[in-house]
Amino acid sequence: MTSWKNTLSERIPTDLAEEIDAFASQIKLKKQGKVDDKLFAETRLRRGAYGQRYDNGQRHDGIETRELHFPTNATKGPDTLWDAPGMQRIKIPFGGLSTEQMEALADLAEEYSDAICHITTRQDVQLHYVHIDDTPDLMRRLAAVGITTREACGNSVRNVTACPVAGVCHDESFDITPYARAMAYFLLGHPDTQDFGRKFKVAFSGCKDKACGLTNIHDLGLIARKKVIDGKEKRGFEMFVGGGLGPVPYEARLLDEFVAEEEILPLAQAISRVFARLGEKRNRGRARLKFLVDKLGIDEFRRLVIEERKTLPHDDRWIGYLDEVRAWEETPVRKPAELTAVSNDEEFNVWRDSNTYGQRQQGYSVATIRLPLGDITSWQMRQLADVARKYCGDNIRTTVEQNIVLRWVANGDLPALYDELKHLGLAQPGAGTIFDVVSCPGTDTCKLGISSSRGLAGELHERLATRYQQFDSAIQGLHIKISGCFNSCGQHHLADLGFYGVSRKMNGATVPHFRVVLGGQWEQNGGSYGMTIGAVPSKRVPDFIDRITGKYLEERHGNETFQAFVQRIGKRELKKVVDELASVPPYALDPTYYSDWRDPREYSISDIGVGECAGEVVSRIDFDLNNAERLYFEAQLAHEEGALRKADETAFSAMIAAAGGLVRLQNPSIPDDPEQVVPEFRKRYYDTRLFFDKYAGGKFAEYLFNHHEQRNSDLTADRVRLLLEETQLFIEATHACNARLMEQADNERKSTGDKTSARDKTANAANA
Amino acid sequence: MITDLHKLGIKFFNKSGADMPLTDFIPVFHDWIQNNRLDDLLIDVADYSHVPAGPGTMLIAHEGNYAIDETGNQRGFLYYSKHEVPGDTVAERLASVCYRNLSACKLLEEEERTRDRMSLDYGRMEIFSNDRLHGPRTDEALAAFKPQVEQFLNRLYPHTDYEIDYKNSDPRERLLAKVMIHDAADKADTLLPRTRTDSL
Ligand code: SF4
Repeated sequence: MTSWKNTLSERIPTDLAEEIDAFASQIKLKKQGKVDDKLFAETRLRRGAYGQRYDNGQRHDGIETRELHFPTNATKGPDTLWDAPGMQRIKIPFGGLSTEQMEALADLAEEYSDAICHITTRQDVQLHYVHIDDTPDLMRRLAAVGITTREACGNSVRNVTACPVAGVCHDESFDITPYARAMAYFLLGHPDTQDFGRKFKVAFSGCKDKACGLTNIHDLGLIARKKVIDGKEKRGFEMFVGGGLGPVPYEARLLDEFVAEEEILPLAQAISRVFARLGEKRNRGRARLKFLVDKLGIDEFRRLVIEERKTLPHDDRWIGYLDEVRAWEETPVRKPAELTAVSNDEEFNVWRDSNTYGQRQQGYSVATIRLPLGDITSWQMRQLADVARKYCGDNIRTTVEQNIVLRWVANGDLPALYDELKHLGLAQPGAGTIFDVVSCPGTDTCKLGISSSRGLAGELHERLATRYQQFDSAIQGLHIKISGCFNSCGQHHLADLGFYGVSRKMNGATVPHFRVVLGGQWEQNGGSYGMTIGAVPSKRVPDFIDRITGKYLEERHGNETFQAFVQRIGKRELKKVVDELASVPPYALDPTYYSDWRDPREYSISDIGVGECAGEVVSRIDFDLNNAERLYFEAQLAHEEGALRKADETAFSAMIAAAGGLVRLQNPSIPDDPEQVVPEFRKRYYDTRLFFDKYAGGKFAEYLFNHHEQRNSDLTADRVRLLLEETQLFIEATHACNARLMEQADNERKSTGDKTSARDKTANAANA
Repeated sequence: MITDLHKLGIKFFNKSGADMPLTDFIPVFHDWIQNNRLDDLLIDVADYSHVPAGPGTMLIAHEGNYAIDETGNQRGFLYYSKHEVPGDTVAERLASVCYRNLSACKLLEEEERTRDRMSLDYGRMEIFSNDRLHGPRTDEALAAFKPQVEQFLNRLYPHTDYEIDYKNSDPRERLLAKVMIHDAADKADTLLPRTRTDSL
């Protein structure tokens, strides 16, 4: 029988073929019931085969939660059905793609997915709605063009990212591409990277000031540097560790200001060993390297790494790769040429201004293919491969802004390139502008999504398409980044205008919202994170963007940047803009608020009694949560003013107010006294797991316990900032817990035909 | 071997309404899920309205994907299978795939939100293999595919002439037949009984 395995046997390297065969065997064994669910889940994750929304066989269709009756009840992980479609993540080290690889990706998207290749914020490619049975063949076809999906997900070293203009950039110290490549393949499958408690992300940047590499948000970040040692110029890297976004963003710490090129691989290995040995394993919420570095302190972490380095047995690869570095070069397919005439084509000129970058090498440019929401169709991908062959050869990269760049395009070819891209629907201007909205998958396909980040991004994309060119240049240059939840895959912390999905219980229903994070810094490798201001209903986000950018234009001082403006006017002023848009009309007056962008299903599973919600009695917990939000906001202000102790105390009071609200649902007599609230909360919500989120477990509750136990610790501005982030997440989790309890009560009420409202029921339970 | 080919697709092009916003189909497809309007296990709606000439608005099912598809800048209604399809021959499987497609087309014809705004041309269609292993774009596979396509078309339109164009200048594209029926049916209902098989 014909099979991809036989057809491609000559083209797949033996080791890759064996790995994929082993995975195919695991699939067979799993089907025979011989592999444990958890083990199989981690096995497939390490091959990039990820779960996708509704893969537990449950889906809320806007009326009720329905079971999806897949052909079998077999599972591919805990609570994950075999037949439910999943996502395949495909690692593209440093984003480097060849035309042949593009064609393979196009075919795979067409045959196994939905004819869309999605570029992610880690320069990966993702295919959605893939059946697990198809994954071994999919992997074989990738392997035949030199791509492995190994360790694309799971507790492993994820795709190594790098500046997409490395090697052609004006600002770089040197081309970091061959170093990123060497690091990616050195750590891939390395025995010392197999026992992490959590994922590990590496990035390379050619310089310190520009954004491209985003080293500040990585577990391991390397910035190219040159240094004269003994009269000789040496190449090396400034090495950072322990950065990361996620729910609580940490800025990376400097491990060493100059690590010679011969030392970067062994040092990365030593870091991996220390992380594997001392990193948290049981509590996933605190298992990233950033927590270990924070716990140990950078000096102790550095000491441990240096000690570990001394114990490593020699490996030839540590310096062996330097031959490849020296030999590394990219070959353009066209001779350099300048644009000789000024074009009359206004559309071309607009595109050229925003989407091309003049290379360091005279006569060449990098052209950015701006992909809406990171999506490109199979047909486009195939045609783009042809265009690339003609103009730039295999010099193609994906970017963390979810675009594709063609490098080494002769300037004289730009008009012809533009025409061909236009024919493919790939000549949208506005790369790197406010129009170039970045978004994670959110509720479209991600299991953890809370709000529809892609729906919002799609809506903004449509609205901005006709408007963005009329904007003042100060607005045009802003970045919008959206995550579907606090996990920050959309990198909202680094945006001028960042948003992440949350939900709110309002008027007796759940309403999709986005928390606003303003003034993050994309430049300087993601130099600083934005501040969280408050939440607006999803449907008001476009209005919020209009208002805040309008305010900026009206009130900025001279050429003040948006980031500086946000810092200057401060949270109190910014919060006012959020508050103006925070209210949600009753369902009867405007039901659109109760569904998310581009998803007409009613967002909540609770019973929205049409016409009754306006008169809803506000319960005690609503006041408590509101009070917690207020305290949290005051704590943020105190932090901004440098009153660290006050910020810390107020943040803790906010946590106590939120926790107290939940406790009083069961025991109304408990006052807001930490010594009573914390043990009661632990007993009633933590030990019983009532507070546990399906995915985050009890992580957010631990923020409360930690804060309670470490009340009088030394405070630095950075430490308080982290405490504030944790406070906010704890309050969010309290909202979510409250919503879950209400929905449960509602469901019980429905099943028993009881007419008492969920709120009354909860209150009755409390009174009883 | 073409005999093992199960991943097949059929697209009927639009007669009118190609300018109807793609996002207008999102609530329609959600309603179909809510009300179990199709035989397939309907899972979710995927919105690709932002991508030019792309798969448009999709209704993802376990057995296959439905879409208001704009590939090649030509809007039409598409269905392609993702798993085994009933039928001993490719011709029979094409009938099964067509039945699923037409069942959805019928719903669009009946649907208040779409019926006066768009219509499909059941005389212009594309039939393709979505499997480059069992149905590659080779002369041999094409030779085996042709009689199957014709057998299926004879069943769909037993008394009508048609033209088929198998040419495709891009060898990387899928095995494809572009069909033009001379006297096409106006309604999905006319064709549905001709595609129905006992196993459906
Ligand atoms: S940010 Fe949240 S919703 Fe978005 S991809 Fe990450 S986990 Fe999913």
